Amino acid sequence: MDIRVSAAAKDRDTRSHVEEIENLVTPGDIITSDSGFMRGHGTYNSEDDRLLASVAGVVERVNKLICVKPLKTRYNGEIGDVVIGRIIEVQQRRWKVETHAKLDSSLLLSSVNLPGGELRRRSEEDEKMMREYLKEGDLISAEVQSVFADGSLSLHTRSLKYGKLGQGTLVQVSPSLIKRRKTHFHHLPCGATIILGNNGYVWICPTETEEMDQTGGYELNLKPVQRSDREVVARLRNCVQLLAAQKMQLYDTSVLYTYEASLNFKIKDILKPEIGLEILEQTQHRLEIEGT
Amino acid sequence: MAEVDLSDAEKIFIKHGVQDNCREDGRGCEDYRHIELETGLLSNTTGSARVRLANTDILAGVKAELGTPSPDKPNKGRLEFFVDCSANATPVFEGRGGEELAAEIGNILTRTYDCPSCFDLEALCIIPEEQCWILYVDVLLLECGGNLFDVASIAVKAALYNTKIPKVTVSRDEGLVELEISDDPYDVQRVEVQSAPCIVTVCKIGHSHVVDASLKEEACCLARLTMGVTERRTVTGVRKEGSGSLDPASLEDMMQTGKRVGELLNKSLMDSLLEEERQGSKKKPVGFLK
Amino acid sequence: MPTDSRRINGPEDSFDPSVLLVDKKTREKILRDGKRKDGRKPEQVRPIFLKAGIISQARGSAYIEQNETKVMCAVYGPREVTKKEEFSMKGQLTCEFKFATFSCRVRRQYQQDNEERDYSCQLQDALEPAVRMDKFPKAQVNVYVTVLQNDGSPLAASLTCASVALANAGIEMYDLVVGCSARITPSEVFIDPTESEDYKAENDNEAGNGSVTLGLMPSLNQVSAITSKGEVEFELLNKGTKQCVDVCQKLYPVLQQAVAKAVEDRLSSDHVT
Repeated sequence: MDIRVSAAAKDRDTRSHVEEIENLVTPGDIITSDSGFMRGHGTYNSEDDRLLASVAGVVERVNKLICVKPLKTRYNGEIGDVVIGRIIEVQQRRWKVETHAKLDSSLLLSSVNLPGGELRRRSEEDEKMMREYLKEGDLISAEVQSVFADGSLSLHTRSLKYGKLGQGTLVQVSPSLIKRRKTHFHHLPCGATIILGNNGYVWICPTETEEMDQTGGYELNLKPVQRSDREVVARLRNCVQLLAAQKMQLYDTSVLYTYEASLNFKIKDILKPEIGLEILEQTQHRLEIEGT
Repeated sequence: MAEVDLSDAEKIFIKHGVQDNCREDGRGCEDYRHIELETGLLSNTTGSARVRLANTDILAGVKAELGTPSPDKPNKGRLEFFVDCSANATPVFEGRGGEELAAEIGNILTRTYDCPSCFDLEALCIIPEEQCWILYVDVLLLECGGNLFDVASIAVKAALYNTKIPKVTVSRDEGLVELEISDDPYDVQRVEVQSAPCIVTVCKIGHSHVVDASLKEEACCLARLTMGVTERRTVTGVRKEGSGSLDPASLEDMMQTGKRVGELLNKSLMDSLLEEERQGSKKKPVGFLK
Repeated sequence: MPTDSRRINGPEDSFDPSVLLVDKKTREKILRDGKRKDGRKPEQVRPIFLKAGIISQARGSAYIEQNETKVMCAVYGPREVTKKEEFSMKGQLTCEFKFATFSCRVRRQYQQDNEERDYSCQLQDALEPAVRMDKFPKAQVNVYVTVLQNDGSPLAASLTCASVALANAGIEMYDLVVGCSARITPSEVFIDPTESEDYKAENDNEAGNGSVTLGLMPSLNQVSAITSKGEVEFELLNKGTKQCVDVCQKLYPVLQQAVAKAVEDRLSSDHVT
């Protein structure tokens, strides 16, 4: 039992190096009066042709295009992104999926692999079986296939690495904390798999054996998970949450280093603020030394 | 309550974890997450406290007002609970959305404090049958991250501990009663909370049970037992909630757990309240800057 | 507190004169000598009269009498849910608990007060485990309980009554629910307390006084409801719940009989017509 007085835990702004970010703007700030630039996301043109920011964030420039990247945002999908989503509704020939985007995403019946990886046209039979494949509450990993005109996303799971997710735990973080990488699926050496969805949903589960891995998630392994695997998952979960709470970028190395730094502590102790900070300091130090 | 929808596999993962005594964040079945608390942060109240546990954030304020005692309890003051679920916590609470939950929390608080031996209402009486203090305890939910009942009761107990009612002197002059209320901030009457209960919610998940359930765990739980536990290990206001049932043996186990955890909870709450008081004015107020 | 604009309520500042009469004798007696006013043994329940099918227009109904405690219950449905919510494969159960205005020593209001709303929730939590909600998806069943006369243990009586009414309505159930109350004093447990024996926060100043109400599904041996008032020692609470479980088991045949009797009556009357 650990009840503490708020004030006692207050000395946490001591993280030494808070670098001054240069091009930080707030809504209404003038970015440039030069009319030669193009208006990107997070900006607008005023009447006298100046370019103003419409969100709080960092100004980014690609040639003539200026946009402001907000620090906190809902997920803006891009084609090819790996996302984790939760089924919220079964509709005609499609599932509605919650992906932390502005609008619900959809997964068309024609964009999933059928059980057993069969390739054929979707029949009426399949339509009736939709709730058997995926029902409300189920979690899936998927890829963004296209973006509809209204900005909602269309997903697909037509690869054996995507599909329904089994036993494991989901952590929700801000999408801007997920670093874009070549791969977002990581089988970590500690015995767990982590999927860092671009939409800020992070899935952590025990690494499955080879043969179980390739079913597209239709046959789930519901046997109890080994205690040791479970501890690894719990530790990873706490580490991911720790990184997210301190607004540090999430990618395989940062997660792994945090995990390794946390090994000196009990899993539940990682949740305590002072221990969390200590772990993060170590991690940050190591990341800086190795320059990754 | 802020609903979380879970897939069957996630539920199974959580259930087996509880059985293994290794929950999704590595806690054991009887572990609490750490709690932060601060008292005396609302200047317009007689006593206040804010308690934060993981994402659950609850603010409690006590206002003391003068009133007449109810006729069936002429020598007692009154203690009344009001709970407000702010739509700040979740859009579900908008309008009348939070009312049901608010009533539920209010009822449980009333029930657990409804025994003369754990909260002395007689001390709130000024003149029997005529004047007494009425303590309005308002509980405001700022954020919901599970385990609301326990946190609400901690906030209430802390706020009551923080309550400083101005001293009243009664003088009788030719049959007229005169009340004089002291305006000296140090000439105050404290409320005795030593024996006040804390609520412990024990959630039955699979074949085992846990305390301080997270939102996800609450979604897996069909039956839970809320019980007020005092420092003396007595039990006030037990209640089973949810649509599940319990077999008599596990009911006993759950009550045992609740009693054990409740005793610890009361003890460490009192410790940290005393600690805060000891820091006194040296302590920098935190308030909502966090 | 919303006021009822359509009814003329009594003067607001009136109160019942009986609160001024001190009813300490029986209380002291039960506490001191362990003797009960009506001569029962501590673990003895009042005689029960239970009948199903008394409200002709309801889908199911029941009436219970335990000496001066009298409760009736009606069940309607399953019928379409009026308030549409999300898709769910389960049905809904709603419970409304009401003291008739004249049922208690102090007059009750027409509108549900907090205590009644609390009882309604408890009834629902207690009945839900017993009812097969998956058998009427998208539909609702309404249970209305009215206490006609309250002489202690109203919730326990309502539980028993409501489960018999549900069974009488032909709603699919896993089991019946039997209710039982106990009064806990610092030293002893009394089953099925009357109004004068029951725990009252304003009179019982000593620690260790309280009461517990339990709902049991007897053939599954599952506790579907438990609720307690007052501050009691853990051991006594535990003893109290155990005794309640035993009493519930003993009362089970009475419920079975009442439900079966109603079916028999129906069959024989069908035969005649």
